[in-house]
Amino acid sequence: MHTPLLRIERLTKTYGDLTAVDDVDLSVEAGEIFALLGPNGAGKTTLISCVCGMVQRFAGRVRVAGFDVRADYPVTRRLVGVVPQELNFDGFFKARKVLAYQAGFFGKRRAKARARRLLEDFRLAEKADANTRWLSGGMKRRLMVCKALIHEPVLLFLDEPTAGVDVELRDELWAYVRRLRDEGTTVFLTTHYLEEAENLADRIAILREGKLVLLETNAGLKARFGQRWLEIRFQDAVGDDAVARLGAATVQRLDDRTLRFSYREDGATRTQAKQPAIEPLLEGIRREGLRVAAIDGGASSLEDIFRQVMRGGRGSTPVPFPAGRPSTADN
Amino acid sequence: MDPSPEDNAPEQPAHPAPFLTDAVRASARQRVEAKVAEATQATNVLGTFTLFVKEMERFLTFALQSLISPALTTMLWFLVFGYSLGGQLSEMGGIPYVDFLVPGLVMMAVLTNAFINSSFSFFITKVHGTVADLLVTPLTPNQIILAYTAASVVRAVAIGSIIWGVAALMGASTMHHAGWTLGFLLLTSAGFGILGLLIGILARDFDHVNFIPAFLLLPLTFLGGVFYSVTLLPAPWDTVSLFNPILYMINGLRYGMTGVSDVSVGLGLAISAGTVAAGWAATWWLLASGKKLRE
Repeated sequence: MHTPLLRIERLTKTYGDLTAVDDVDLSVEAGEIFALLGPNGAGKTTLISCVCGMVQRFAGRVRVAGFDVRADYPVTRRLVGVVPQELNFDGFFKARKVLAYQAGFFGKRRAKARARRLLEDFRLAEKADANTRWLSGGMKRRLMVCKALIHEPVLLFLDEPTAGVDVELRDELWAYVRRLRDEGTTVFLTTHYLEEAENLADRIAILREGKLVLLETNAGLKARFGQRWLEIRFQDAVGDDAVARLGAATVQRLDDRTLRFSYREDGATRTQAKQPAIEPLLEGIRREGLRVAAIDGGASSLEDIFRQVMRGGRGSTPVPFPAGRPSTADN
Repeated sequence: MDPSPEDNAPEQPAHPAPFLTDAVRASARQRVEAKVAEATQATNVLGTFTLFVKEMERFLTFALQSLISPALTTMLWFLVFGYSLGGQLSEMGGIPYVDFLVPGLVMMAVLTNAFINSSFSFFITKVHGTVADLLVTPLTPNQIILAYTAASVVRAVAIGSIIWGVAALMGASTMHHAGWTLGFLLLTSAGFGILGLLIGILARDFDHVNFIPAFLLLPLTFLGGVFYSVTLLPAPWDTVSLFNPILYMINGLRYGMTGVSDVSVGLGLAISAGTVAAGWAATWWLLASGKKLRE
């Protein structure tokens, strides 16, 4: 029988009257990059904490590689690594020592070489003998990633690892995450930067007030919830009668010469999309004899979809389109 | 009708993941299998030892404050009470007053430093957030207790030994029975090391950590016969003193060092061992249940 690497069943965690995680079911397959999104307080960190051992008083069941995270924690914690959201440092020790101790806690012998390699990979080699207290915020964050990786986990949790770090470090970290995945590490991340989830994740889940409200592949999410838009500026003013005769389902007049059409994305991915909704529109434009001055277009981003889901679902409210995108075609 | 996101939540996605290739999937499964095989066979003696070494190194990084300063402070007590004021007393309990004083001062330093070592060390990890690094490890509650306690014992016994050594150089004669002496030193430092860890786990701010040594440990130690024999106390205070467990610890060590005790040494040993057992059980329960720490 196939066993997912991570299986969460009916996970519920309450703090007094507050239900931080509410009856969540979730599976993560080996090799995936899985992104968990949600606003502050949605329960993302609590969910991760239940898997990693930082929280163990919860209802439901969590298994890693088939092992229960509470009953079999000496096994599951060896499989899991975590970079907590809160920046932490041990002001008594040097960076190199911190890694040596963390490796030792997991019973890893001969971890010096791995520690050296991690410090080099995360550009901390020069600070290896510096007290962690004196490291910059970004360096402390990188050291936390090194700590999480020192025992070679197969499932890595990154809880908003790029919060408050510069763009360069963010790019480096995500490049490293891709490398880790290529080497066989499964990655479970939370992030506030939705474009990161969009660019990295195989599957995306959204938590809202502790409940799992969405679980979908990256591409499938856009196919189900995404919309495309087309903004056309005509050479001459377009009358309301002509607009009505175009027969477009959703059209918005931006000024007397500019119209914005929106339609649901149809296809597996954005790049492979078939767009049957456009053809009748273009035919209508030709039939009306309208002369096009410029065309701009695009698709709703994960951020748009996220906002839509946070508002309460797919519903009938159109996805808000981003303003001010550069033109993609001029006549 | 379009399903709502809530309706869709438990569904498995129909679309294939865009980046996950069969090769990556196979490699990941292979890694999981290898890691599971390694993890299911591992014991964590090294992990316990590492935590012990880390705790040792932590207090050695500020040895002046963690070892020398408390030893020096206690030696000042020894000088003031043993030689200046104590000069007025020729004997106490049938032995020279300086000899009578040394075990009390050693025990006072041992209890305080054993407690402070583990309580502050653990509490500071909560303040710095590095407690997460410990919570995610496969270390068992017993392994955590053992490592913290052993480090506290080393620190406390080291300070006690410095005090004893300096007192011996100054003329005190305090080595009646090495076995009893060592037994009481180890048991009491272990007991208070565990209690320190317990408080470190429970404490929410520094006041909680400071409360026990300042408002409980120090008065009980002072009233536990460090400077005097309880047989000198008027009734009912001589009887009231018998309810102070630290009295038995001090007198147990005094017996080991000088052969003199106001109370039953066997009872002292039982109370010291009971402190270790009760402290261990309570701390184990906290760590195993996750109460206060993994909530």
